Amino acid sequence: MRPRVRLSLGFLFLLAAGLWFLPYGLSSYAIHVANVIIVFAVLAVGLGLCMGVGGQVNLAQVAFFGVGAYATAILTTHAGLGFWLSAAIAVAATAATGLLVATPALRVQSHYLGIVTLGLALAFTNWVTNAQIAGGAEGISNIPVPTLPGVDLSSEYLYYYLELIIFALALAFGLFVVRTALGRRMRAMRDDALAAGALGADVPVLRMTAFLLASVYGGIGGVLYAGLIRYVAPESFSIANMFLLLAMVIIGGRQSLVGCVAGAVGLYLVRELLVDHPTFAQMGYGSVVVLVVVFAPTGLAGLPPRIRQAIARRRGRGRETAAQLAEFRPYPDLSEISLEGGDPLLSIDGITKQFRGLKALDDVSLSVPAGQIRGIVGPNGSGKTTLFNVVSGLYRPTAGRVRFAGADVTSRPPYRLSRAGMSRTFQNLRLFGDLTVRENILVALDRSRTLSSWRYLIAPLAIVRRDRDLRRRADEVLDRYGLTAFAALPPESLPYGTQRRVEIARAVACRPTLLLLDEPAAGLNGDEVRKLGEMVRSIRDTGVTVVLIEHNMGLVMNLCERITVLAGGKVIAEGTPAAVAATPAVIEAYLGDSMDLPSEVTS
Amino acid sequence: MARNRPLYALAVLALVLAGCSAPGSDKKSSGSTTGPIKIALVDAQSGQLSSLGAWELKGAKLAVSEWNAQGGINGRQIQLDVFDDQGDPTTGTNLARKIQSEGYLAMIGTAESAVTIAMAPTLKTAQIPNITSGQSPGLVAVGSEFLFLNGPTSTTYDETLAKYVVDQQGIKNIAMITNNGSYGKGEHDAFTKALAKRSVTPVADQVVTTDQKDFSAALTAIRQKSPKLIFLGAEEVESGLIVKQARDLGITAPFAGGAPQGTPVFLNTAGAQNVEGTIVSSPYLSNDISPASKKFADAYKAAYGEDAELHGAKAYDGAQIMLTALKNSNVATGKALADAIRATKYQGLLGDFAYDNTGVGIFATSIGKISNGKLVAATS
Repeated sequence: MRPRVRLSLGFLFLLAAGLWFLPYGLSSYAIHVANVIIVFAVLAVGLGLCMGVGGQVNLAQVAFFGVGAYATAILTTHAGLGFWLSAAIAVAATAATGLLVATPALRVQSHYLGIVTLGLALAFTNWVTNAQIAGGAEGISNIPVPTLPGVDLSSEYLYYYLELIIFALALAFGLFVVRTALGRRMRAMRDDALAAGALGADVPVLRMTAFLLASVYGGIGGVLYAGLIRYVAPESFSIANMFLLLAMVIIGGRQSLVGCVAGAVGLYLVRELLVDHPTFAQMGYGSVVVLVVVFAPTGLAGLPPRIRQAIARRRGRGRETAAQLAEFRPYPDLSEISLEGGDPLLSIDGITKQFRGLKALDDVSLSVPAGQIRGIVGPNGSGKTTLFNVVSGLYRPTAGRVRFAGADVTSRPPYRLSRAGMSRTFQNLRLFGDLTVRENILVALDRSRTLSSWRYLIAPLAIVRRDRDLRRRADEVLDRYGLTAFAALPPESLPYGTQRRVEIARAVACRPTLLLLDEPAAGLNGDEVRKLGEMVRSIRDTGVTVVLIEHNMGLVMNLCERITVLAGGKVIAEGTPAAVAATPAVIEAYLGDSMDLPSEVTS
Repeated sequence: MARNRPLYALAVLALVLAGCSAPGSDKKSSGSTTGPIKIALVDAQSGQLSSLGAWELKGAKLAVSEWNAQGGINGRQIQLDVFDDQGDPTTGTNLARKIQSEGYLAMIGTAESAVTIAMAPTLKTAQIPNITSGQSPGLVAVGSEFLFLNGPTSTTYDETLAKYVVDQQGIKNIAMITNNGSYGKGEHDAFTKALAKRSVTPVADQVVTTDQKDFSAALTAIRQKSPKLIFLGAEEVESGLIVKQARDLGITAPFAGGAPQGTPVFLNTAGAQNVEGTIVSSPYLSNDISPASKKFADAYKAAYGEDAELHGAKAYDGAQIMLTALKNSNVATGKALADAIRATKYQGLLGDFAYDNTGVGIFATSIGKISNGKLVAATS
C-alpha cells in the first residue's frame, strides 16, 4: 500500500503543478476553452454525485447551472449587488431549486424521474425566455467582472486560477463525500433503495441530499460561468447542453467523480477540435457515446480496473482461490433474559393484507417475547414473507396493528423501524452489488442520520474520525463472521453460502433488538446449516430476539423455541416444536403441500 | 519524506515565480498583408438552428465566390472559413477567441442574436468587425462599434407592419396569437409596443407554446372577439398550423406577421387558399421582386440547386458589404475596417444600406400580401 500511496501523491503533485503552469503555454483562445471546460467539469462532478453516486436520474442539472448564472446576472445588474454577495445568494437560490426539483424523486424513480426533471429543465428555459427580469431571449449582458483585491479577474488567465482553486475544492469535497459515510449510503441507495432503507438509510432525505449536492455544484458552475462569459441567454442552458453534460458523465464513468471530470475535459476538447468540421463532429460525437454505452458501460473510469483484472487473469488464477471463509466466532454470552419473562418485544394484532383480490394475510396475530427464537413456517404462498414485509414496513397492512418495543409502528417506513432496532435479511439476498463486503457492513454500522450531513461542511475532521471508527468496528464484525478474507471483494464474487453469511453479519451490524431472517438456510449445505444454527443462537445470546422464516424443518425444530404455522394467510398453529408437529391441522396443511414435515420431524 | 524535500522546495519556488509574473502575454496576430484574406463565418451548422446556418453559409459563400471569380481584392483571394457555433452562446465565446487567435480579419454571422451578443465583447476587444444576421434590439444595446446588422432590427418589422395596418389601412380591431419561444416573445413585445404607440390595444392576446399542435382553445377565444386582423408571431410550421386550424374554425380574418409568413413552408403547411390575403412584413419579399433579386436567385439556384430565401439574401448582402468595405479601405483591419463598413453605401437585395452609429444599416421593411398563392408587394 505504502509505495502506491506515495506514487499517487507524486502523480497528484505533478498534475497540480501541470495545471498551475498550464496558462503559461496557452493562447487566449485555449485559456478561454480551458476556463469553459472547468465550468463544465464542476457541473459534471455535481451530476456524477447525483446520478452516478446517488442513482437519481437528474436531467435538470443544466437548469441548476442556469439558476446559478441567471441569479448572479440579475442580482449584479438589476439589484446592483456586488459579485460575491450575488454569487452567495445565487448558490443558495440554486440549492433551494435543487430541493424543489428533488421532491418528485420522493415519489418516482429511474426514467420517470428523468422525464420529470427534463420537464423542469424545459420549464426553466421557457421561463427565462419569457420573463422580463431575465431579459427574455436577449438575455442579460454586461455582468460586472468579479473583483478580488490585487487580482484582475477580467484577465482570463487569472480567472483560470480562481476557477482552478474552486474546482479543486469542489472535486475534493465530492471525493470526500463519496469515500465517507454519506457517499457510501448514497451508493447503497443507488444499488438497492429497499435494502438501504431496511438498514436504516433514510431514503427520502438521502434523495434530497443527492439533488442538493447536484444543485450546489450547478450553482457554483453557474456563478463561475456568469463571471467568465459575463452574459447569460436562454440558449446557454438548452437541452442540447444538458445532453452534452449527460454524455460527459456517461463517457467518463458516472460512478467515478474523477471519471466525470475526465469525460468533461475529453468530450469538450474533442468537440472543440472538431469545431471546424461540423459534420464529422456530429458523427464522431454520437458514435463515441454509443460505443461507450455498448462496450464500456462504466465509462473511461471503468477501464483501468478492467484492464488490471484482465492482466491478473492472464498472470494466473491461483490467487483468487486464496480467500477462505473462516469460522464464526461466537459472541460472549450476555443473556440473562429468562425465556418466558418480559413484555412481548413484537406483537402483531389482527394483520390483514389484501392484494387486489388476493388475501395474503387474514387476521394474523402473534406476539414474540424478548429473547426468543421464533420460527415461522408454512407451505409456499402461506404469507410468511408478506408478514415480514408488513412488520418491516415494506408493505402497509390493509388492517391491523404492529407493535414493536412498546410502540405502535404500523406502516412506519423501514428506515425508521431500523433505527428503532429492527433488522432483517431477504429471501433473495439483497447485498449492495457495487459495494465491497466491507462497505456493505459499513453501511449497516453507520447509524447516523443523513440530516446530520451538514457536518461535512463545518467539521470534516469529525467525519474522518467517525469513519475511521466505523472501519475499525467493521473489521471486528468481519473478523467475527470469518469474512476478513473477502472484505475488499464485491459480494457477487463470493459463494452463495458466504453471501448469506455476509447478509446476516450486515443485519446484525445494525445492532438490532429484533432480527428477522427470511429463509437464512436456503441454498446452504448441511454443514453450513449447522453453523448457521450456532450463529443464530449466539446472536440471540447477546440479547437479540430472532424471528425466522424457514423451510428447513431440521433447523427450525432444533433452533426455535416456539413455532408459528401459517397456511393460506392464517395462523393455524402455534407452540413448541414438538407440540406443533403433532397438531393435525399442521400435518394436513403440509400433506397438502409436500411430504416435508413428517419425514423431517421423524428423522 | 526527506528525499522529497528538493522537490517541494522547487514547487514553492515555482509558486513564488508564478505569483510574480502573470501568464497571458499574448502576441496579437494581426492580419498579414499577403496571402488570402481570411474571413470567418460563424453559424450553427449543427443542432436545432442548423437550417438557418446552412442558408447563411450559402448566401455568404455565393458573394465570396463572385468576388473571387473576379480576382478577389487587390489580387488577393478571399478565404471564407466556417465555424459551427451550434446555436450555443458559450461555444460562440470560444469561437470568438479562436478567430482572434487565428488572425481572421472579419466575421460574418451569426444568425442567432444571443450567440452574437455573447461574442461581441471579445470581438470588440480584438477589434474584429462582425456583420451579423441577428435582428434583436439587444444587438444594438451592446453598443459595440465593431458590430453591424445585415438587416433591420425586429422592431422595424413590427413598426412597419403596424404603420401599414393601423395608419394606412385603418384597422384597429386586431387580435394577437404568438408563441412563448424567443422569436414569438420578441414579436409579441415589439408589435404590442408598436400598437401602443398608436393607442391600439389588441382585442385578444393569446400565447401558445412552441411545440403546441392544437390551437382551438386560443383560436376560439379570438373568434369570439371577431377581429378584423390577426397578428401571428410564430415560426413557419406552427404559423401554418395556426392558420389552417383558424380557417377550420370559421375564422375568415386575414393574418399578418413577419418573415416566416412569407415562406413556402408556411404556405404549404397552411394550404394556399387559407393564406390568401396574409400581410407580411419582410425586408426580402420574394426572389422575383426586383431584377437584383432575380439575378441573385438564379445564381443561388445554379450554385445550390434550391430556391433562395430571406436568410441567404441577408447573408449575401452582409458579405457584399464586408467585401466592398475591404476593397474601399484597401484591406484595412480593426477599427479602420469598421469605419469603412460604416461608410459603405450599398444597394442590396434588402434595400439601400447606410449605416448609422448603432450598427444598423437599413431601417425599413417591405409589406407584402399573399395573393393567388404568391407573395407580392402590397399596394397601399
